[in-house]
Amino acid sequence: MQENYLAKWLNGELSEEELTEFKKTESYASYKKLKEVSGTLKTPEFDVDQAWNTFKNKGSEEMPKVITLNPFKQFLRVAAVVAVLLSGSYFYLNSLNESFSTQLAERSEVLLPDNSEIILNADSKVSFSEKKWSEKRNVNLEGEAFFKVAKGKKFTVSTKNGTVAVLGTQFNVENRNGFFEVTCYEGLVSVTYNNIERKLPAGTSFVAINGKIQDFDNITIAQPSWMSNESSFQSIPLKYVLAEFERQFNIEVKTENIDAEQLFTGTFNNNSIKLALESISIPSQISYKLGEDNVLFYAGNTP
Amino acid sequence: MNNVCEEQVFSSIFKSNSKTIFNYIYYKFGNEEKAHDAVQEAFVKLWENCAKVMPEKAKSYLYTVANNLYLNVLKAEKVRLKYADSSLEHTNESPEFLMEEKEYKQKLDKALEGLPENQRTTFLLNRIDGKKYAEIAEMEGVSVKAIEKRMHLALKTLREQIDGI
Repeated sequence: MQENYLAKWLNGELSEEELTEFKKTESYASYKKLKEVSGTLKTPEFDVDQAWNTFKNKGSEEMPKVITLNPFKQFLRVAAVVAVLLSGSYFYLNSLNESFSTQLAERSEVLLPDNSEIILNADSKVSFSEKKWSEKRNVNLEGEAFFKVAKGKKFTVSTKNGTVAVLGTQFNVENRNGFFEVTCYEGLVSVTYNNIERKLPAGTSFVAINGKIQDFDNITIAQPSWMSNESSFQSIPLKYVLAEFERQFNIEVKTENIDAEQLFTGTFNNNSIKLALESISIPSQISYKLGEDNVLFYAGNTP
Repeated sequence: MNNVCEEQVFSSIFKSNSKTIFNYIYYKFGNEEKAHDAVQEAFVKLWENCAKVMPEKAKSYLYTVANNLYLNVLKAEKVRLKYADSSLEHTNESPEFLMEEKEYKQKLDKALEGLPENQRTTFLLNRIDGKKYAEIAEMEGVSVKAIEKRMHLALKTLREQIDGI
């Protein structure tokens, strides 16, 4: 008889011969009886549906994890992240300011939401919040620009050097490295520079060069000269004049043996480089040599 | 995709396995209440790990969890089993025969109680739940041969106990 023959027999795996042999044993009747009776054994009641309900209820009460029965959970997770990103970027983009800028030798006109106008001179940048415009008329400026402000609430131009506040007027703000100039052409402009507040009536201008303040009150033109393609200066150190020249013609300026601090009063044309060079060099008594993409100013006869 | 996390798949696993798990734990420990708890616990664990358990592994996972739950914790109690009511089919049997039957069943009960836990579980899973040796082997995590051995020993021991050898 093979190993574990009782198990084989119970499973009907015994061969004919083995079965016959097993039937001959005296214990066969006992095993047969055992097989029959054990087949009628029953376990305590177990209600599958009731167990299932218990399981589901348990899930909703004690096991928050079982909420994962919702097959959308994965999807919701992703959707939540996307929603956060979308709304976040929406608010972020909305909070960004409108921004306009000009390159070298370029000029641009910007119309503000209240029809105020900004005319940007070369290499300048303005930015403002279109969303908040109705609450606060505030413009950030780098470089130089002329403002025609429509009447309304206080209009503020913020620059690194100082702020300019007006109600409704026309004025020019120039804000370059170490150089801050505000010229009022119409109305009244309030300039705050290093905590000093200055009221500029029409026809006056405020100039601060490296912290040194100068006032001029003989402005007779109706708009800044650069708007009529000229750059005008009144007792301005030559280096700022040359810097403006660089901006207007997008050309590199080199100097040799000249006093860049000497004051310059005059105007140069923004359209003709030849004329402009003459306008700068003759009053300053310096010479120049025009190269392909640069110009050299020098003192005396030879560079 | 057959995923245990899908409610349909999960509920079908529950419906086809919960009773056997109940019985399995009952055979081992003889505690009806704990057997009910084991079913719940095993399925909670399966649900929590539904993403990690392949559907074909769910069954053995459930038995392992249910078994480990009380392993070395619960003292085995007396396993009480009933018998299918056969009196209706055999109303014409003699009172003597019925008496013998009753006595036999008492002997069997006693013999089952005396069996080692693994032999009893194997024997009852086969006799009551109709589980094949291979299935029991999977549930218990042993070889089919080991199950055959248990079955053989169970039958041998039961018969000896009942016949008073």
